[in-house]
Amino acid sequence: MTFKKLLKIAWKSVRANKSRSLLTTLGVIIGVASVIILVAVGSGLKDFITSEMQDMGSNLVMVMPGDIDLKKVGTGGGGGGVMSSGLAAMQSSKIKYEYLNDIQQVVPQVKDIVGLVMGSATTSYQNKLLSSQIFGTTENYSEMRKYNFTLGGFFNQADVSSGRKVAVIGHKVAEDLFSNSPVVIGEKIKVGDYRYTVVGVIEEKGGQGTMTPDDKIYIPITVAQRQFGQDNIGLILMEANSPEDVPLVLNSTEDILKRKLKDDEFTVLDQKEILSTVSGILNTLTVALGGIAAISLIVGGIGIMNIMLVSVTERTQEIGLRKALGAKPEVILTQFLIEAVVLSIGGGILGVLLGGGGALFLGRFMPTTITLWSVILAFAVSAAIGIIFGVAPARKASQLSPIEALRHE
Amino acid sequence: MEKSKKIVLQTKEVTKEYKMGGVVVKALQGVSLSIHDGEFVAIIGPSGSGKSTLMHIIGCLDIPTSGEVLLDGHQVGKMNERSLAEIRNKKIGFVFQSFNLLPKTSAIENVALPLLYNGTSEEDSQRLAKEALSMVGLGERLDHHPNQLSGGQQQRVAIARALVTNPTIILGDEPTGNLDSKSGKEVMEIFHSLHHQGKTIVLITHDPKVAQQAERSIWLQDGQIKKV
Repeated sequence: MTFKKLLKIAWKSVRANKSRSLLTTLGVIIGVASVIILVAVGSGLKDFITSEMQDMGSNLVMVMPGDIDLKKVGTGGGGGGVMSSGLAAMQSSKIKYEYLNDIQQVVPQVKDIVGLVMGSATTSYQNKLLSSQIFGTTENYSEMRKYNFTLGGFFNQADVSSGRKVAVIGHKVAEDLFSNSPVVIGEKIKVGDYRYTVVGVIEEKGGQGTMTPDDKIYIPITVAQRQFGQDNIGLILMEANSPEDVPLVLNSTEDILKRKLKDDEFTVLDQKEILSTVSGILNTLTVALGGIAAISLIVGGIGIMNIMLVSVTERTQEIGLRKALGAKPEVILTQFLIEAVVLSIGGGILGVLLGGGGALFLGRFMPTTITLWSVILAFAVSAAIGIIFGVAPARKASQLSPIEALRHE
Repeated sequence: MEKSKKIVLQTKEVTKEYKMGGVVVKALQGVSLSIHDGEFVAIIGPSGSGKSTLMHIIGCLDIPTSGEVLLDGHQVGKMNERSLAEIRNKKIGFVFQSFNLLPKTSAIENVALPLLYNGTSEEDSQRLAKEALSMVGLGERLDHHPNQLSGGQQQRVAIARALVTNPTIILGDEPTGNLDSKSGKEVMEIFHSLHHQGKTIVLITHDPKVAQQAERSIWLQDGQIKKV
């Protein structure tokens, strides 16, 4: 009795009951597919945010308001809470605009420094309405981010210091408000309760999220403070001269700010730390998503066990006959075990195809990354589930008495 | 029939007791019989006579409570399940009342089924199954499924399956019980022709007309042999 022959018997029996086999494996198919899709979504998000952070350059040093405990975040647990408390901290920030100057004067390794006040407001031009993100910043922001302009340019230092109501808009904002009309410069748009004169349109950069300028409106930071009723600024971004200078900039900035603020009123981070924080949170998210999906895999396994038990009862006569003709108990056990494994692996293969297809399809709407480990894991787990949940029905079949089984109608 | 031929099956004072709902039922109460090589024997008795129990013990599907069973020189009375399965495969060819063919499986594959369990190669299995089907006159219907065959043809496939391992005894349990008289006659003719080729055949039946066609009948009543 070779394994090949048993495999043939199992395959025949699976094919003989096509619709039942498919329904049986549906649980495993859905389980495997959801593991792959959810892990792809989690990893996709992580890759997206990581690449966005890397976009900012490896020389980046950032000052954020409030006390952010990276170690707590990095190990997972409460990641979301820290993120949202970070946003709340921006509103009650104690970081003052003057600090930009203080830092630049004391730390020569800082190549560029910008302050940011962020908010969102309803923007309108004539009868067109738009809800957009507003970045209040300094004149050198555009240079730091290396923006090109399709029309006009960025506001200048005088605009910032005298608090002129001028705005630079992203490509998508221009499209939505002005339908890409070339006569944009000098037009007045309404942002919240203020009217701004458009001075520039930034070239399309693509992508989504906080770093793309496409859907943003940039105004002088001094105006943004008035617009959003803030005396202070939400964020300081600095670029060091070189990656080697990053630790020095980080430490010097901390020393300066310590003299002005309490320890829990600010946090200085470099890109490495931000990256490790973000990937820590998102790894936790990915594992959590995968874990939820894995539960459905186990439910799928129970479905296989259920149907196999029914199948054993239904095929009692067949089992009796096989035993009467000389099949030993272990041969019957192996036959039914292989059948369960064929079902679950078949389900696993279909699940991988469905999950891969689903993740690719979702990839058109959100960032997804199909990871090899999730495919291998989901597939291996489905095979293991076939064995684990196949044992009980197979044992039941192997222990049937041939006399009773033959008599069964 | 030469009496000098060797004994292929012998039971000595075989008893079998069951517990049914706390009551001990004595299905067999000391059955001793011998069957010689090449004989055609009918075991006949009314329902409840213990003939099914005797069939199970002769067919190595069950072991006796006491007594000895010798099949082709093997003491099968005290074997475990695995050894019994092996003996059944080698020495017994079963023909059941309800044919017991695998549905959705071709005639040739049904016939080759016992060979699956004794390590016969795929090629040999196909060849032996073809030969066995030719012997029962179904050499042209190798790929038919049971639902494409008449009852008589299905039982002939079952007989081919019993033949394919060249067993010591072909054991029929009411083989004509589910057939109309014409098909029943055909099936009995096959048993006769197998007998002429020297096969040992044991039929269990309640039908005296079937039993009459055997060389010898063993009458069973209340778990004991009444007359031979």
